[in-house]
Formats: sequence, C-alpha cells, structure tokens
Amino acid sequence: MMMGWDAFKKSFDVWEDATAKYLESWLRSPLVLGPGGAMLTAAMRTKSAVDGAVDTWWSTVGLPTRRDQERSLHALNQLQSRLMDLEETLADLRAQLPPQA
Amino acid sequence: MSADADKERRRWRNLLGMPARPRPVVGATPADVVHRENKWSLLRYRARPEGLAHATPVLLVPSLINRHYVLDLQPGKSIAEVLVARGHDVFIIDWGTPGPEDRFVDFDTVADRSIGRALRVAAQHSRRGKVHLLGYCLGGTLTVVHAAVRPERVASLTTLAAPVAFTDDGLLATWTRLPQFDVGALVDALGNVPWQIMQSAFQMLRPTLPLSKAAHVIDRAWDDEFLDGFFALETWGNDNVSFPGEAYRQYIEGLYRADGLVRETFALSGHPVRMGNIACPLLAVTFAHDTIVPEASAAPLLERVSSVDKERLHLPGGHVGAVVSRKALATLWPKISAWWAARDAD
Repeated sequence: MMMGWDAFKKSFDVWEDATAKYLESWLRSPLVLGPGGAMLTAAMRTKSAVDGAVDTWWSTVGLPTRRDQERSLHALNQLQSRLMDLEETLADLRAQLPPQA
Repeated sequence: MSADADKERRRWRNLLGMPARPRPVVGATPADVVHRENKWSLLRYRARPEGLAHATPVLLVPSLINRHYVLDLQPGKSIAEVLVARGHDVFIIDWGTPGPEDRFVDFDTVADRSIGRALRVAAQHSRRGKVHLLGYCLGGTLTVVHAAVRPERVASLTTLAAPVAFTDDGLLATWTRLPQFDVGALVDALGNVPWQIMQSAFQMLRPTLPLSKAAHVIDRAWDDEFLDGFFALETWGNDNVSFPGEAYRQYIEGLYRADGLVRETFALSGHPVRMGNIACPLLAVTFAHDTIVPEASAAPLLERVSSVDKERLHLPGGHVGAVVSRKALATLWPKISAWWAARDAD
C-alpha cells in the first residue's frame, strides 16, 4: 500500500512539475493573455454601461444612486479621519503648553 | 505494530476524519485594539509577563489584500508570539474588509494617512519617538513609500518580499502590463477589485497547485502537526480581502506599469517618492523561490536607498512558507529581532 502510494507520488510530482511549466508558458503566451485581457475589459465596460443606464433611470426619479451613497459614506469616513488629525494636533499643542498653576 | 503500519493507520484516520477536523485557531496571540479608523485597526500585542526588553516598538504592516494573522498564524507557530517572547512591543495593522464606499480609498490614504497614524500611535510608546517599521509583501511597498516621504518616526525599515521594481518578467507583471487590460474599466465597473480576481491571478502562477496540495496532504496526512499548520495556512490563504479600487488603479498604473518607484515618477500626497530619501537602517529580506515577488522585484531597494546601515538576507523558500514556517520562526525571526535589538537606540 505504502509502496504503491510512494510510486504514485513520485510520478505525480514529475507530471505536476512538467504540466505546471507547460501551463505557465501557455499562460504567458500573447495568444492567451491578449484575448483574456480584451474579454475582461469588454465585460467590465459592458457592466459599467448597464450600471450607468440603471443609475440614470434611478436619478430621474429623484433617488440617490448607489454611487451617490458610496460617495457620501466615503466623505463621512474622510471627515472622521480629519477629525482625528485635528485631535492629534490639539493633543500636540496641549503637550507644548506650560503646566497650569 | 510496526512504525509503517502505525503511520498508515494515522494517515487513514486523519483522512477519513478530515471533514470533522476542528477549525484551526488563528490569530490567537492576545492583543488589544489601540486605534480604529474606517475599516482598519491597530492592534498591540500584550507584553510578556516579565515586561519589555526593548525601548523601540515594532510596527508590522501586512499586505493590503491579506489578513494580518499570517504573522500570528497559530499558537506555537506565530511570528507575533516569537517577537513578544523576545521582549518587543509589537503593533500590527489589521486592514479590515473594505466596504463598497472604500472604492475611493487611494494610495495616499493607505500609505500616508493610515500608516502615518499607526506610526504615531505606536511612537507614543517609544522614548525615542520612533518605531521599527516592517512591511511584508505589498505592505512592504507601502512602508517603503511611506518611509521615503515621511521618515520622521521610522527608526529602521525591514522589508519582507516587498516589490519595488516592476519590470520583472513574472506572470503578474506581464499580465498587468498587457495593453488590452484596462485597469480603469475594471475599477469603474467593480469598485473594489474582488479578492476572487486577485486570487485567480495568483493561481495562474501555478495552476496545478490545488492538485499538488491535495497530493501533499494525502502524503503527509499521518502527521497531525503538519495538518494543523496546513489548514491554518489554507484558512488564511482563502480569507482574502478585496483591493480598494482607487488604490488598485494607482498600484497598477503608477507602480507596475510606470515602474514609478524606480523611475521616481510616483508621488505620495503630492510629494515625489524617492527611495534615495530613505536613510534609516534597512534590512531587506528576499526569497529565492518567491514567484509572487521575484528577487529582481524586491532587491533594487538596497541599491536605491541612501542608508549606510543596510543589509540583505536572501533565503531559500517561497513567498509565504519562508516567512511562517517553523524554520523561519527558529532562524529568520530571531535574526530580525536581534537586528532590531542592535538598533534600539539612536
């Protein structure tokens, strides 16, 4: 049993190494990479166009789009960070003040 | 029972019991959250009972797209645990999980604001007002960018497999330089770049890896310690986070495509990023069998910095294994700890 597995593992390792090298050279080929990149880009542009159309419709009925909500949340996060910046500056300034009598 | 028969018995017991195997405990070293901002938080590991042995705290910056607990994998196999046991005051950034609104989070926010804040919080616990900064993988790139523009609180910089040059002929660099790949279209359509896309790109580096892993697990299934480590690492490897969209766009266009760090075209918060501005002690660790960050991508940092005190460790092993393995815990991390200890004062 053990010997059978060991023999299989050895041949598997040889096969795996050879296959990985072959697949790597294949994946690096411009014939694979080029169309792969083009398909991904086309799919993304289509998704953006569909999302844009949905957003336009949504805006026409006076409702905030998903992007509007994301922008608002991001602005809130930025505000939080800037408040923390101010708190840090205040703490630094306080530390520089002479101790009160 | 012979040793071989016992091994076989354990192998079958473990293979058949695999579905019921308890989930590995990860990230278990006791730590407190000392700062929280948007999705990221700063954790401080609790000091060993006998107290700290070093005056300068350490800030660990993991990759933006991986969970921080790769540096605190399992009790007995944890980098954080090793560093705490050696008397370091250890902080780590947990980047958290970006929400849809974080598509607008850019490189300035991450590499300047967040790392800057983490450094300032950690530096409050340092008599020198400085911190040893360590970045792993993309976290290393972030620390290089930060240290080049804001060196004030950086006592020393340690990079682990951190890419700074992007003209190598690795598959990832080749893919990102592809003219047909429009990174703007990807970010506009998806916002944050889903971790599934990132993971499939990494899987392209070795498409046979899942099969190879399965064979390796069957081969070593008799070894409980191996299985625990394997499943802990798999838990981490499959627990990825998406890349904030705007930061990804800048990463690909500004760093990968423009090779912005080497050509000095990249800017952080309006300041040009010049690796030559880094003058603090530098330790750069590269790995010989790293397919994710090839040596050619990580090593140029040493030639570019103006640090007088600089050192390179080039070790055998891959991107993750060489960092978290039992051997790394016994050799690499004590070396890094000793390097910090020797630079504990100005």
